[in-house]
Amino acid sequence: MDDGELQAESGNGSSASDRELNPEVASKQREVQFKAAHGLLVAFFTFVLLLHIGGISLFLSGFLLTRRVLDEKSKCSESPLYVEPSAIGEHAAGRGTYEDGCWHEKSFDKAVIIVIDALRYDFAAPYPPSSASVSLRRPRHYHNLIPVLYETAAQQSGNALLLPFIADPPTTTLQRLKGLTTGTLPTFVEGGSNFAGAEILEDNLVGQLKTAGKKVVHLGDDTWTSLFPGHFHPNLSHAYDSFNVWDLHTVDNGVTEHLFPLLRFQETVSGTEADWDVIIAHYLGVDHAGHRYGPDHLAMSDKLAQMDEVVRQAISSLPNDTLLVVMGDHGMDPKGDHGGESDLEVESTLFLYSAQTHFGTPDTTLIAPPATARERDSTGRERSVPQIDIVPTLSLLLGLPIPYSNLGKPIPQAFLGRKTGKPDWKNLAEVDRITAAQVHRYHVAYSNAPSSVTKLSESVQEDHKTDDEVVPPTGDALDTLWRKALQRWKAAEKHPNQDKWREVAETFDDYLSENLAVNQRQWASFNLPLMYSGIFVLVGSVLVSALYARGAHGNASGIAPPLLLRGLLGSLSGSALSFLISGLSPLSFLFTCVFLAVSGGIVGITSGLASLSSKIPLPASFWGWICFLSVLLPCISFASNSFTIWEDEILLFSLVTSGVLLLASSLRQRDPQDRAIGTLNSVVFLVLTRTASLSRLCREEQMPYCRSTYYASATSSTSSSWQLAIPWLATVLLPSVIRYFYARTKNYNGSAIIWIGFAFRIDLFLIAMYWLSDAADDGDWLTGKSLYGTINVGKDTLKTMRITIAQVVLSVAFAAGYATFLYASPFISVRTEDPAPELTGSIGFDGQTSTATTTTDIDVNTAFTTITPKPKPAAKPKQKLIILGYANTLGTHYFLLPTLWFLALVLLQKPMGQGTLSLLLTQILCLLEILDANSPSPDHTTHSDEEISPITDLRNSAVGPTLLALLALFHFFKTGHQATLSSIQWEAAFVPLRTIRYPWSPLLVILNTFAPQILCAIAVPALALWKRHPRLSQMGLLSDIARDMATHMLVYAAVAVATVIEAAWLRRHLMLYRVFMPRMLMGVVMLGVVEVVGIAVALMGVRTSIGSVKVVFGW
Amino acid sequence: MAPDAEPKVLQSAKPVELLQSQPSFFFANLQPILLLGTLLFSFKSLVADPVHTLLGLAPTVAIVQAIYCVVCLPSTGDVAAPTPKPGQKKKAVKPGQDIWAKVIPAFLSFTLTIVLSAPLLYIIVILFGAPLTTHHPHTLLFALHLALLTTPHLYYVHGLDASTWLRLASLQQPIDESYGMSLGACVGAWVGAIPIPLDWDREWQKWPVTVVVGMYVGAVVGKLAGGYLFKGWKIKLA
Repeated sequence: MDDGELQAESGNGSSASDRELNPEVASKQREVQFKAAHGLLVAFFTFVLLLHIGGISLFLSGFLLTRRVLDEKSKCSESPLYVEPSAIGEHAAGRGTYEDGCWHEKSFDKAVIIVIDALRYDFAAPYPPSSASVSLRRPRHYHNLIPVLYETAAQQSGNALLLPFIADPPTTTLQRLKGLTTGTLPTFVEGGSNFAGAEILEDNLVGQLKTAGKKVVHLGDDTWTSLFPGHFHPNLSHAYDSFNVWDLHTVDNGVTEHLFPLLRFQETVSGTEADWDVIIAHYLGVDHAGHRYGPDHLAMSDKLAQMDEVVRQAISSLPNDTLLVVMGDHGMDPKGDHGGESDLEVESTLFLYSAQTHFGTPDTTLIAPPATARERDSTGRERSVPQIDIVPTLSLLLGLPIPYSNLGKPIPQAFLGRKTGKPDWKNLAEVDRITAAQVHRYHVAYSNAPSSVTKLSESVQEDHKTDDEVVPPTGDALDTLWRKALQRWKAAEKHPNQDKWREVAETFDDYLSENLAVNQRQWASFNLPLMYSGIFVLVGSVLVSALYARGAHGNASGIAPPLLLRGLLGSLSGSALSFLISGLSPLSFLFTCVFLAVSGGIVGITSGLASLSSKIPLPASFWGWICFLSVLLPCISFASNSFTIWEDEILLFSLVTSGVLLLASSLRQRDPQDRAIGTLNSVVFLVLTRTASLSRLCREEQMPYCRSTYYASATSSTSSSWQLAIPWLATVLLPSVIRYFYARTKNYNGSAIIWIGFAFRIDLFLIAMYWLSDAADDGDWLTGKSLYGTINVGKDTLKTMRITIAQVVLSVAFAAGYATFLYASPFISVRTEDPAPELTGSIGFDGQTSTATTTTDIDVNTAFTTITPKPKPAAKPKQKLIILGYANTLGTHYFLLPTLWFLALVLLQKPMGQGTLSLLLTQILCLLEILDANSPSPDHTTHSDEEISPITDLRNSAVGPTLLALLALFHFFKTGHQATLSSIQWEAAFVPLRTIRYPWSPLLVILNTFAPQILCAIAVPALALWKRHPRLSQMGLLSDIARDMATHMLVYAAVAVATVIEAAWLRRHLMLYRVFMPRMLMGVVMLGVVEVVGIAVALMGVRTSIGSVKVVFGW
Repeated sequence: MAPDAEPKVLQSAKPVELLQSQPSFFFANLQPILLLGTLLFSFKSLVADPVHTLLGLAPTVAIVQAIYCVVCLPSTGDVAAPTPKPGQKKKAVKPGQDIWAKVIPAFLSFTLTIVLSAPLLYIIVILFGAPLTTHHPHTLLFALHLALLTTPHLYYVHGLDASTWLRLASLQQPIDESYGMSLGACVGAWVGAIPIPLDWDREWQKWPVTVVVGMYVGAVVGKLAGGYLFKGWKIKLA
């Protein structure tokens, strides 16, 4: 007998005495009591949520910090060679004017920079890479379609240069633009926030151009304008919205429209409006085609062919003194997304072109551009260049000072062949020396900088003193290299010849490469005190949650108010304390305050729990151990990159294991009906789990042992045609499945018919229509030739239609769905019949022949008298009133809520994801039935026979909430996601909207990403309500729900804490940014989402459901 | 199933004792050595060519299991006999009949193992995440071996009594040597799956080497644990 049931009985006992006094007043009182208790429970959960958020933000502020930003700017007149004049020698110093070139003689007056977003290197390289591998494979839709780059570079090696261009992860456009203009390594903070940029404060190329008084024109992606507000020529620049990935053409056509007039008329209209020095044209079509269709799609072919034409035109109309730069900012993974650090995502393209002979080659045997991104030269070095190398290269070519914090090195080819095309090693040695000197100056400044210089965030300022990694990354090896280079320079000055200069250039080059490598290794500047304090309070809050969820005695909702009070007091005193000791703390005031407030809250709640004599929540039963281990083992396994990578398969394994044990437990039931229901549902649960597992989206690390099935192919992000059948299948089957579960307990009545039978089905139909029309759009099914010429059902028409459908779906789900949920009375029906004891039962396994012996057998007359305010004594004593659907009144009413959210969630999924979410909904229903079959029936006291009484009580164990959480995690992977940034389906933001709109667009992406988690969190209260006696005390029910909800959140909290600790522990691991950090971010975001949904949707819904049932059956 | 029938069924659930004879004890102790020895002997070829090795091993294992059934275990009919008294038994049945009374159940047990258990276990192994579209021979042979290690002795001892099999499937049967061996094989195979995803790049990590090894080791451990340590225990699923 559990606490909830005890409460229920005591509640009933007291209510009996109350009723004698004044039934209506007493009932009203109980209703008010319930609502107050419910409100306080919500407040308590919100408080715990705040504790978690506090801990997570402490940790993340320490973890995601990377490096200090120095705000010094390089000046034209201050060449870095003057830093140590004695060491370097004076006469070779820079000239110091913009006309001739600041630190080095300039080569070009103007530049046209064309950024083709996501231009992967294998798009530009010829395919197959060598004649030997002709039989390799037929070319894909992205091969050999932009040949101009390779052709030009191969045929006119003095005029053009094509190189693989390796991005530093994260490979998001915003981060890449920062790297491409500042020349320094990225910070990860903004990696996920592709939605909004912020102005770059660090010294950068665009800023230098502005300082030099150059007129910079920007065309295309508006990320530039948010990074460099006020830097661009106001009349000539045209920015376009960058995030509408469904739109392949607006940006590109706009850029082309403005770019070529500028290029052609530049000479004739000189001095007027068309006067420019640098044009930055950013094309987005290739990137959007990748996101929307994947690279292996005809749309990509068209786009690349269009880019080929753009580059050809730009080459032909390029003025003599102008440098043309064509580059990608990152690549794309096999299905066209990016953000991570897989090879394909970082391998981009750089193409330089000049009408004059300008480029040379360091290795005369290697004239042809690299055939693959990772091709090596004769000395074994990769021929690719890091993206930041463009910064010093462009700066020096245009005669600008190198941005202050640049870490890149000049691209040798751009300085070797000046004018003649013959190797000019002295020139290269000079630019290398200048660049190295600037890097050196930066390091000196960096290590000497007082910590107040930091600009990254105010809070960091004081924290750096204690940071373990703050020492500037100038190791001994680096120092040695620097000195060696300087010595060689001196030697070469005395006896100049090409070989000596070459040696010098190579030594400086080594220094710069080594420096970059050192920085890449070491420059993640973790703030350990912040991280540890975050971990500390997170662990504390999880332990408190565990105590509350599984250890506390008594009514879980009843103890919430005192705990809340103590917690609040603790938090208040904690924040008060922070005023006193903020001087002593290694953290800034804000963080000290957060830390102490959260700790105070934890201490407060713990003291409350201790006063309630809670036990340590160690598992005591078989199922307790199963739940404990099925959460603990994954938590531990997240410390292994292999287990993290294969999490989806491991979850399948653990879910099936639980399912098999549930099957065994169901087979043990002595009640034949319980046994049958439990067994049947367990088997269905197992089969559905394995069926759902067939939907896979592989992450790069799983290759080659994994085959993606989520999209049409591994190189696509569209659905194949057979997958389009899934939404239609769901339309036909899913309402019937839900109906089956409702009808089994005779609850398919009233509003349930209207909602599930009509509204739900129609909405699913509309969703299927939506995705059909989306596929029609993708596949250009409606475009073709007809008698009347080319018919073209405009993409716009289709899009408008789709958006309308999507909005209708959402409004049906939320407006109609919530209206039904809020106002529907319980789904019961009343019948009068002659007394026949066999028919009084309300549930039966087959739903038709209800047998009294095994089912809810209630005294109908009593129930009826409490229903009606004016009690009608049963008219004829011979007749009996039968309430159909009595046994599951609570559960079926509450389950409307998951179904209505299901519609919104399913709309945002791709067809395959819709299938797995439908399976998930069915699995949840199965789970509810299994747990009920393995729990004592509400009427088991009527059977004194010991042999019949159930031997398990799973409803009061942690099984339900734990399995729901594991199911949600499992389905996260089955809805086409992975614990990687690149698997985020950004396009979900555009399902019901045409453009980015805050806050809706990020919200839609969250609904898409965490759909299974949201659905399962909403389903948690159903565990306690399914097939529960409607006349159980509302307080008892609330307690059960609170306990289940707390357990459910505990699972997520445990995973979040485990991943947080492991990310901190493995912060120097090679796989940190590739495996551990994305998993950690996923864990903490998931925790937040689940807690918010659990409180705002599920717990609020409980109030409605219990209320609507109690209005009928009496409070 | 009538409720009042259940108590009787529960009462009849007793751990199965081995036959009290010299050959019986001898072979009961030899069997684990034989099983592990075969595995150890063929491990290299198992890693190199799992399909052929498993195929080749199957008859050997079947014979070992068959001898174990015939020599060590009481067949279905004998279970009711309260305490095996060899002397009495010999008087009751002639030696020739005795042999046939053992060989026929054994034969039936192995038929059932192959036509019933192996396909069922194949489905279960697939449910646990074994490859569905590839590696069919691997998975089938693994299921066959799993069936050989888990079910023949159960068929031999318990026959096809529905209530007994319900108890076996729901883990209610008291642990004895043969049931322990079956459970041990399942748990061992379960544990054997754990190293598969690790990125150690070892040849033996391939499907189904680890689970086969885990299964054999688990079967032996389970047999010993069931026969000595946990004899008579009942698993509590509460």
